[in-house]
Amino acid sequence: MTYLDMEIPSRSTHLWRYTPWKRIHPSKVETIPVSESVHVEIQGDCKYEESIRKVENSSEISRVFISECHDAMTDIEIEGRGQTIHVNLLASEETNIGHLNFNCKGEATILIHLSGKGNWTGLHITGTIDKNSIIGYGFVNELDSNSKLLRCEDWNVHRDSSLEYGELSIGGFRNKTDIRTNLTENNSSLNQAVAVYGMDARHDDHHMEINHLVKYTDSSLIMNAACGDRSHSIGTGQLLISDDANHSNAAQVFHNLLLSEKARADAIPELEVLSDEVKAAHGAASAPIDKEQMHYLQSRGLSNEQSEALIVEGFLVNTFSSLKNKAVSEELKTRLKIHLECEIMR
Amino acid sequence: MEVLQIKDLHISVGGTPIINGISMTINKGEVHAIMGRNGAGKSTLANAIMGHPAYEITSGSVTFLGEPLDDYEVHERARAGMFLSFQYPPSIPGVQVGNFLKKSVSSIRNEQLKARDFRKELNAAMSQLEMDKSFLSRYVNDGFSGGEKKRLETLQMLLLKPRLALLDETDSGLDIDALRVVSKGINEIAQESGCLVITHYQRLLDLVKPDYVHAMIDGKIVQSGGPELALKLEEKGYDWLEAI
Repeated sequence: MTYLDMEIPSRSTHLWRYTPWKRIHPSKVETIPVSESVHVEIQGDCKYEESIRKVENSSEISRVFISECHDAMTDIEIEGRGQTIHVNLLASEETNIGHLNFNCKGEATILIHLSGKGNWTGLHITGTIDKNSIIGYGFVNELDSNSKLLRCEDWNVHRDSSLEYGELSIGGFRNKTDIRTNLTENNSSLNQAVAVYGMDARHDDHHMEINHLVKYTDSSLIMNAACGDRSHSIGTGQLLISDDANHSNAAQVFHNLLLSEKARADAIPELEVLSDEVKAAHGAASAPIDKEQMHYLQSRGLSNEQSEALIVEGFLVNTFSSLKNKAVSEELKTRLKIHLECEIMR
Repeated sequence: MEVLQIKDLHISVGGTPIINGISMTINKGEVHAIMGRNGAGKSTLANAIMGHPAYEITSGSVTFLGEPLDDYEVHERARAGMFLSFQYPPSIPGVQVGNFLKKSVSSIRNEQLKARDFRKELNAAMSQLEMDKSFLSRYVNDGFSGGEKKRLETLQMLLLKPRLALLDETDSGLDIDALRVVSKGINEIAQESGCLVITHYQRLLDLVKPDYVHAMIDGKIVQSGGPELALKLEEKGYDWLEAI
């Protein structure tokens, strides 16, 4: 089915409740805009080549739409030997499309940095983690504050493999992100940590789907969102433990730090557990800044603004504490600190 | 030199009177100890002097280095040279101790610190308190034992070199060796500042010699004296003071 044959998703559909399709579409929903490819720059020990994205039999409108806007894809093959691969994505045109496909073996780290002043960007990233591999993955969205981003990711993690997934979302005016991870074979795992910082009227909607399809699979999801001004963060964790996935462990935790009265944050962990012998936990909490923390820092000479900035930084930095891959966590922490320092100077 | 002067101070918390008329003067180089039962109002006094917003001064006055404190924000009090060692310092996940200390010292001294000079100063203070350097990369008070928290409070005091140190049960949670180390730090600061020590135990006052000891009951100082008063309180408790 092509995009134009598809029905525009209703707002009553869970995935589109907070960011309706027409709000994230680059123009009018009945159009497919002329689009340019995101500029891709890759550094590090890997092979890559241009190819074509094929989206077959998908009923998911974002993925179909992005592929019909532009189908040029970069295929990246990683024979992991502990190396780090940097992928810089620059979106500087009116409408930008990027497709990346990773095939990963062994042990490696992928660091993606998205920037640019383009009006609208659609990004579809897919990846396969081969058996017996350990892959660290860090994604930084640092688009211009007037940009819109529609991002989809699909990951398959195979036997005895793990994906350490970190994300820092600090760019863009309106963002819709849909990340789906399949734990497809025994002893596969996902450790996902997402930090969101909202300011002005930034709108950031993260949907994260984790599917435990077989036995002995583990997943952990942490999302910390700090929202100031009139910003709005949404985090949806959709966890499926299939009826064939006994002895699986899963946990999802969402923390929201509200920095102003008009800031909003929604955290919706959803669990669908179809097996009996599993451990599944979830939690969500939203709160303003702790007054005792503020008083403590002020009693050490930090002004109100300095104290709040330090607490926010700590709150977001702490998101990445669970990541074992130090290259990913250090990259995300460094990007975050630079961004917050620039914010203070603004 | 007068560091702190409190005159007929009344403090309420959530509308409930806790401190009911306290007066006290602390001069440079003096150590004052306040002792009293749980709930007597000792911590309330320290927190109110530091400017905690939950503690309302309903009447009376507090002057610090001759200036009334009424219009001072908490961070301004700290920058003016006031320091509170917290009884229960909060944890701040994600904020590394080293980063926090540098920001704090930089704010108090109102200068950009040279990394090398600060590291040298920090190493000396940590060495004095027998603290491992791994402390610096940990998050502030996050997962710290009681003793580690008190050492970090004392480390901050050594670095910030306050004119007035308010020490709220700094000895709680410390083993004997740690108490000895922390007391050494307090004595160093006490030489050049005024010190108000809140404690339940004589064991701290064996190591930090007070010039004055005040016994507090129901938000009032009911008896003041020299170090011998602390020994008497240790021996007899507080019941005998009820009649005064």
